[in-house]
Amino acid sequence: MTTQDPGKLMAKADKLTKLSFTRWNADWKNATALYEQAAVGYRFKKENEKAKEAFEKASKGQEMISSPWDAAKHMESAASLAKELGHWNEVSDFYRKASELYRECGRSQPASDALGKGASALEDTNPDEAVRLYIDACEILEEDGKEQMAFDLYRAATSTYVKLERYTDAATLLLRWGVAADKCNAVNSQCKAYLSAIIIYLYMHDFQQAQKCYNDCSQVGAFLSSDQGRCARKLLSAYEEGDIEEIKRLAQPSPITHLDHVIIKLARKLPTGDLKELEKEEDKETLDENDLT
Amino acid sequence: MSVIDILTRVDAICKKYEKYDVERLNGDNVAGDDAFARLYASVDLDVESALQKAETASQEKNRAAVVALNAEIRRTKARLLEEVPKLQRLALKKVKGLSKEELSTRNDLVLALPDRIQSIPDGSTNGAKATGSWTASASRTEIRFDSTSDGRFESEYFQQTEESNQFRQEYEMRKMKQDQGLDIISEGLDTLQNMAHDMNEELDRQVPLMDEIDSKVDKATSDLKNTNVRLKETVNQLRSSRNFCIDIILLYIILGIAAYLYNVLKK
Repeated sequence: MTTQDPGKLMAKADKLTKLSFTRWNADWKNATALYEQAAVGYRFKKENEKAKEAFEKASKGQEMISSPWDAAKHMESAASLAKELGHWNEVSDFYRKASELYRECGRSQPASDALGKGASALEDTNPDEAVRLYIDACEILEEDGKEQMAFDLYRAATSTYVKLERYTDAATLLLRWGVAADKCNAVNSQCKAYLSAIIIYLYMHDFQQAQKCYNDCSQVGAFLSSDQGRCARKLLSAYEEGDIEEIKRLAQPSPITHLDHVIIKLARKLPTGDLKELEKEEDKETLDENDLT
Repeated sequence: MSVIDILTRVDAICKKYEKYDVERLNGDNVAGDDAFARLYASVDLDVESALQKAETASQEKNRAAVVALNAEIRRTKARLLEEVPKLQRLALKKVKGLSKEELSTRNDLVLALPDRIQSIPDGSTNGAKATGSWTASASRTEIRFDSTSDGRFESEYFQQTEESNQFRQEYEMRKMKQDQGLDIISEGLDTLQNMAHDMNEELDRQVPLMDEIDSKVDKATSDLKNTNVRLKETVNQLRSSRNFCIDIILLYIILGIAAYLYNVLKK
């Protein structure tokens, strides 16, 4: 049977499933088996479009015979084929469907994996969708209490945000990462996440925000007393003094070198020439004082 | 005569001839009249004692003793140098019963004193003496450093031969190299610490996974064992000799029938 032409298999399977006069109940079981074979055959022959369709139908069949696990698996294969074909919206749809099916099985890890795969597939072409997928994946894991696995997803999502230059979103995501790390007592990752957030705020020339962020993060005792906290403190004080050399010097050694490379790039560019603005702000303040007095 | 009698007689004689006792007279004179003379005499005494100590130091074999003696000498020298300005002031004061010549000689004496004091050998001959740094030397004596400290580079007690200069340079070079090496080590340690933290978190992440794997594999092994036992039973049943013999007999019968038919058809 496997050597049969996949087209024939597909036709046969379609016949089995189509409800007609002579057939009152669609025979999904056999149909599914036929669909699977057809899909494999098509993939072997590299006819991706048809293979994708076959996988879709196989997945539907598995759903009908209530085996969501296999259905999800087929969906994933369909999605990867769609990726190769370049049908990006289909990719995201398929991966989401697969993830839902996995959740039906009660297996959150594969669910988030599916979303993660979808997101990485879509990173270049549709980064917004990719980021949404990442965040959904993180949420799935957090619901299930498996935050540890979410670290990689957070990291990928942050780098996507930074590529998109949506820095506020990136910083917020980093703070969420910090929360997740806190729940699983991953102190090092937490401190790194906070330091990265502060660096991003500084990169956006938003000094007040960076200060606020630092103050918020200092509530966490672990961050306050860690290397990263110390580095952040020094950075902020250097910024206040407008000391470019100091900032450059601080960006060189660890702990910044231990952060994600995307953040390191930002940190290297850090003294982004806006110190004068900050100084001007400060000067304005002093002028006001003078006026008052 | 008893001893007591001898003693009393000696005392009486001494009293009678006191005026011929030069030293005593001088001491009395000094004590009685002159602050300057008093001070000068004491300084003189000290200088003499310091010189004596220097002599013993130069003959001493034990290095530790030499060092101790030299330290004492230096202490005394510093103290005496402190006294010299006082002496100067006193020298310029006019005292009754003193001629003008004596006054000028006193001044000269005082001026000569510092040189005399400095020339007392204390185990360190220096080419670069800071003769004006009296206060510096005074403060040095209060700070009791051992010779291994490196805070006394400008001290006049530092023997600035070529050797010591080279040694100091070498010391600084080595210190710099050590600092560089330590910096590199610290960087490496930082990286190590970071990696260790990450490994820690990774392992924490994998602990629950391992537990899951453990339970699943346990379940799988028990299933397998179960299946194996059942399979064994089934195979044994199949292989029971009775069935086997029946199988063979039937096979023979079928072959016999087939051969018979074959023969019949061939004909």
